[in-house]
Amino acid sequence: MARAQKKSTDIQIAICGSAGDGTIAAGDILKRAMAKAGYKVIAFDVYPPEIRGFGKCISRVRISSEQTYSLKPLSDVLISLDDSHAIPHVVEVRDFGAVIYEDTPVSMVPEGAHISGHLLLTHLPYGVPFRELSEQVTSSARSRNIAAVGYLAGLYGMPRDVFYGVISDKFSAKPASLTQINIQAFDAAFEVGRDTFRLDEGHLNPPPSNARNGDLMMMSGNGAIVRGCMDAGLDAFFGYPITPATTIMERLASELPVKGKTMLQTEDEISAISATIGAGYAGVRAATATSGPGFALMSEMMGLGAMAEVPAVIFVSQRGGPSTGMPTQTEQSDLNIAVFGSAGDSQRVVLAPTNVEGCYKCAGKAFEIAERYQTPVIVLLDLYLSNRYEAVELPAKNPFKENCSKPVGKLKKDQTYHRFEITKDFISPRAIPGDKGYRHVVTGLEHDEKGRPRDQTHQKMSQKRHEKLLSVPRLPNINMSKRFGDKGKVDVAIIGWGSTFGEILEAMIVARTEGIRCAAMKVVLLSPLPLEPINALLNDSREVLVPELNYEGQFANMLTGATGRSVTRLNRVPGTPMHVQDILDEIRRLAGKKPGKAKGRKRLAAE
Amino acid sequence: MSNIEQPVYLEEKLEEIYDSGRLDYRSKSFPTWCPGCGYFSIVEGMTTAMNNLSIDPDETVVVSGIGCASRFPFFVNTYGFHTLHGRALPVATGIKVANEKLTVIAVGGDGDAFAIGGAHIPHAARRNVDMTYILFDNGIYGLTKGQTSPTSVLGFKTSTSPFENHDAPLNPLMMLLSYGAAWVGQAYAGHPHHLAKMIEQALAHRGFSYLHVLSPCVTFDKTTKTYKNLGMSVRELPEGHDTGDIMAAMAQARITDTLALGCYFKELRPTLGDGLSDITRRAQGKEKDNLRKHDKPKKSRTNSATKVPRRRAAV
Ligand SMILES: Cc1ncc(C[n+]2csc(CCOP(=O)(O)OP(=O)(O)O)c2C)c(N)n1
Ligand code: SF4
Ligand SMILES: [Mg+2]
Repeated sequence: MARAQKKSTDIQIAICGSAGDGTIAAGDILKRAMAKAGYKVIAFDVYPPEIRGFGKCISRVRISSEQTYSLKPLSDVLISLDDSHAIPHVVEVRDFGAVIYEDTPVSMVPEGAHISGHLLLTHLPYGVPFRELSEQVTSSARSRNIAAVGYLAGLYGMPRDVFYGVISDKFSAKPASLTQINIQAFDAAFEVGRDTFRLDEGHLNPPPSNARNGDLMMMSGNGAIVRGCMDAGLDAFFGYPITPATTIMERLASELPVKGKTMLQTEDEISAISATIGAGYAGVRAATATSGPGFALMSEMMGLGAMAEVPAVIFVSQRGGPSTGMPTQTEQSDLNIAVFGSAGDSQRVVLAPTNVEGCYKCAGKAFEIAERYQTPVIVLLDLYLSNRYEAVELPAKNPFKENCSKPVGKLKKDQTYHRFEITKDFISPRAIPGDKGYRHVVTGLEHDEKGRPRDQTHQKMSQKRHEKLLSVPRLPNINMSKRFGDKGKVDVAIIGWGSTFGEILEAMIVARTEGIRCAAMKVVLLSPLPLEPINALLNDSREVLVPELNYEGQFANMLTGATGRSVTRLNRVPGTPMHVQDILDEIRRLAGKKPGKAKGRKRLAAE
Repeated sequence: MSNIEQPVYLEEKLEEIYDSGRLDYRSKSFPTWCPGCGYFSIVEGMTTAMNNLSIDPDETVVVSGIGCASRFPFFVNTYGFHTLHGRALPVATGIKVANEKLTVIAVGGDGDAFAIGGAHIPHAARRNVDMTYILFDNGIYGLTKGQTSPTSVLGFKTSTSPFENHDAPLNPLMMLLSYGAAWVGQAYAGHPHHLAKMIEQALAHRGFSYLHVLSPCVTFDKTTKTYKNLGMSVRELPEGHDTGDIMAAMAQARITDTLALGCYFKELRPTLGDGLSDITRRAQGKEKDNLRKHDKPKKSRTNSATKVPRRRAAV
């Protein structure tokens, strides 16, 4: 590309159409091709809860040379495959950004239904006959979505051969002629795009040559969970379908049996968690995955896991709640139930990765922690993180340890085994069924060290279950929390968890360029909280901001409860990721710079 | 089935117990049950059956829910898991999936099984999990001190049905037969020898075996399922009953004014474990096919969803 200068790249493409237009497939081809070409990619699809009909689909792909952490609020290009759905998204295109649409004659559609009539003055219109292009080369309009991608690739001068590879992969299960047809449609549109007048700004520069030579994988959060499970040697998975967790179960259904392991679809989530606890008790690595409604059903069994000290891993991908809520929208409102939800003081470990790579690490680590601490470990994701794609680099060597269980010692003659022996680190040596001579009963009743039901031991055993987890924040090889930005004293600290942290980081980076002294902290371990680093940051900061995608400020409540420090909350529940701009406005306001539009409001209403 | 009518003498019984070696299968815990509770004979029957079958107690897990019945694991000398109200079966399924070698026995009461845990029974049965489920039916909630249960008889007065129970009782045998349980039988706590034999048969069966044990709650039921009433209503299955005939089994199960003891139905069919091995075999065979398909062709890689070797963009 002649015009390529030594500049960085950061473009975001939005493709919008109705279910059946191949919108998501087009976005998929684009993101995979760009990752293959060596760019950093973040992608997120929004699709309707209904399978049939003409619900709206949007695929957003951010392509950049530097690491980015979230999607941009404004895209550089909007491709419309269905104007009726795309029109409301025109305002999400930046000034001097492009809107690419099907070149239907305006006279052929009802008034107001043509997207060209909705563009802002600052938008560049590109009417392209996708349908015709597809029909010309393939004698069918079916490759219209591929033609749209081809046109975009031509417009930006994207490397063609990576697209060929991705397209043939995508259709590898179908007849070879289909690959051919789609490549032809791609090519035809590519040439049209290449010969079109191009914008000077926002073009594609070659990926940085310093990009590491490791293998980049285009992977979703749920995909990374599956990889983490497989690398950690997951033995048995039990699940019940629920959006947005189902894809974990579906992938494991085909991957586990290849390794001689088991995926079992249970009759409900109670059964799924029960079987997971059963398998964990019997000594294998077991897991289940669900979303809010299923997780609510599991909460009683979470308490048994804590009481009977059984390892189990539970992946929870949050969606809008309460109840069935918004099944295809994202939210971070199951933190309370994850940390507290069960009868009694039910101690447990909760991890929340903030990006796709983190999903991989947390998934694998969760098995080690569950085994070592003999307790349920919850990994909290949300729809945005489960379904978003990032180009990640996974370690070449499997980083996860195999058996982390505290082994039982040899018993002396006439010595009986104490399953719940109180040791120095409060973790008891654990025998499993089949071990000769260590027979015992575990129970959800309060019990003594032998496991016999006893009420009188409740104080002592509650302490055991509490104290054994206190070393979790100091576990090596995983960031339980991490501080970014300015060191030392800062005006504003932004503390966040889960997928929202990407937006927090972006906002913090911009704020620093504006001269605001600020730092951001991601908290990955949400129970028990890593209080040492959190308190250190709180002591360093004049103002503390906690943005999260729930209405009640669940994490803010936990922070205030644990540290006594009151914090400024930013709560939004639009069902979509937090806007970087909203966080930035709050940072500016707290820093005393020109107040943004969020003036003084503590809690912003949902959109 | 002559021993149904055979009386039991304490002296003989003690002698027999010491000689048999089945005390090895008893734990050192003293049962917490009320004196006279039918459940004692289920412990006796279980230890006898295990002893007769020389089951390795280190390779055995007894899983229970919550209730008087579910205290059972504490009284046998095996591995045990006393879980949650209604959840014995799914926990037991997880254990069996994790370690196919283990002998898995689930136990529980009528409330545990058919009220709160009702959703799990059809699925354990249809999957044919290779385990034994022993159901202690006293027609009442014992542990919570005498409330109506799904098997309480019509007209039964309890603390929660002071004006008599109007909800028709379930017919567990009919349910289990139609759920596809691979072995279905019934025994009575008042006939301990027969009970022990039935437990032995159920344990020996490969697949999901369900034994329904009629057992009086002497403390909270003075009127319906008492030793006296049950003793008068139990009978043997008709001579020549064909345990391979599901319709004959159902015909017997439908009769509820008298209660037939014995094995109603049994069949051998693939277990959950067999199914899982088959899935593994297919998956591994299929995986090889995939590799073959992807080995030859073009420059593209296997599995599109995974590895993307980084390549310099051709610009
Ligand atoms: C989730 C839950 N709900 C209610 C209870 C209270 N509870 C304990 S045992 C029981 C009923 C037991 O009846 P059954 O299963 O017939 O056993 P039995 O005591 O008669 O042997 C109930 C309702 C509980 N422990 N857990
Ligand atoms: S309450 Fe009834 S069922 Fe429970 S131990 Fe006593 S007699 Fe047995
Ligand atoms: Mg009962």
